[in-house]
Amino acid sequence: MPRKINKVETQRRLFEAEARPHLDTLYSMALRLTRSPVDAEDLVQDTLVRAYRFYDRFEAGTNFKAWLLRIQMNSFVNRYRRTSRERQVFDGPMATPVGEGVMSRATMRGLTDPVGDAERQLIAQEIRRAFEALSDEARAMVMLADVEELSYREIAEVVGCPIGTVMSRLHRARKQLQVSLQAHAVQLGIIEEDDGDVVDPIPLEAFRARKEAKS
Amino acid sequence: MTCRLVRRHLGAFIDGELDPASQIEFERHLEACSVCQEHLAFEGSLRQQAREALIGVRAPEHLWGRSLHRFDEIDATRAERNSIEARPMRWRQTWPIAAAAAAVLIIGSVMGLPESTAYQGAGMLQDVVNLHSQALPSDVQAAAPQDVVRYFQGKTPFPVKPAQFAEPGMKFVGARYIKVGAHPAAALYYNHQGRRVTLLVFRSPEIVRNAHRTHVGGRELFYHNVGGNVVTIRQHGGVNYAFFGDLDRPVLFQLAANARVAY
Repeated sequence: MPRKINKVETQRRLFEAEARPHLDTLYSMALRLTRSPVDAEDLVQDTLVRAYRFYDRFEAGTNFKAWLLRIQMNSFVNRYRRTSRERQVFDGPMATPVGEGVMSRATMRGLTDPVGDAERQLIAQEIRRAFEALSDEARAMVMLADVEELSYREIAEVVGCPIGTVMSRLHRARKQLQVSLQAHAVQLGIIEEDDGDVVDPIPLEAFRARKEAKS
Repeated sequence: MTCRLVRRHLGAFIDGELDPASQIEFERHLEACSVCQEHLAFEGSLRQQAREALIGVRAPEHLWGRSLHRFDEIDATRAERNSIEARPMRWRQTWPIAAAAAAVLIIGSVMGLPESTAYQGAGMLQDVVNLHSQALPSDVQAAAPQDVVRYFQGKTPFPVKPAQFAEPGMKFVGARYIKVGAHPAAALYYNHQGRRVTLLVFRSPEIVRNAHRTHVGGRELFYHNVGGNVVTIRQHGGVNYAFFGDLDRPVLFQLAANARVAY
């Protein structure tokens, strides 16, 4: 049946051409999720095999990378389903509200204006450490939004939750990262401990009233 | 609009994910509020630093090659399936399909019959998955192990005994004669804590070709990842014991490692 073989070959070529550019993304995401190069390779393999098997279900014109990442996220969650680790993911730190992570101006400047390459590298290292300490789900949110730069709609599709939930989970994940980063940066002496320089959020109305009084 | 509100949604503002009206309101507030401006600069800068710190991981060179090999296997399985007519199936009893809570346990006997390509191994793995999802009925009901041995005499070119398990939750349910690929095989059905478990017995060394290898409780196990699940294979006395299903990998590994197969 030469026609059928040709169709298979064409599908294969199309899939390879579409999937190959996303291999690094899949592996990077898998490595950040599993924290293990061996598990990451297994996860990427599972993802690509599933994607190839169900390639005919991919809607042409939609985001192929997001589709692959959704398959990978499902594989990851399925693999860890019913384990204590998953309970930690969904009932653990992500379920606990995090504060707004109010920082002083000095802290903010200290973290984002590193003095010299050494300090820059130290902060990058601290960011990776703080990231690794996040829950599975928080790491996924930060990776999808800040590294892969997907839209909230795409993240919602990948993770399988409403856009509003993406917003709140992402906010929590970023704040957790900031709080963890701040705590360690103080310990390492990269920044000074906040000492009352914290500026609480000011209501806009108060600001306007003050502005009007000045003018 | 308050600073608190602006800072709460500063991330979404930077991401450009606010609705247009809110986006404009935020911009107005930020123009007027120097403190929020600092927060905006901080959030933006930290995000850039995080991106730089986390980006740049590259997949190992061999990963794509390994993936291509798996695609070859899928293509071969599809080609094989297209070229072989579906085998007629006997249905004496319809099992309730509880696919989400089911697992397949395969026992394979490796006693020779070398095959030419790795594709047949992949095809057999696919058969295992299909046999699992089809939930075929038993030909012989849960009976004494001797009845099962007798049932398979003359059907399979090797003796078949139901494996025994130390786990109290593992109950033998029934068995049937089937084929895996072109190989005569025995399917032995178990129930593990409410989850259906199928046990297949067949001859082929291909099932462990390209398998991963690990050790559990002193037993050497092989395993294949199949569609997010895992086929776990144990070799003992020339016999392969392979476990597949959506049970957690550690549970499958333990079942495979602890199965009493030589008695």
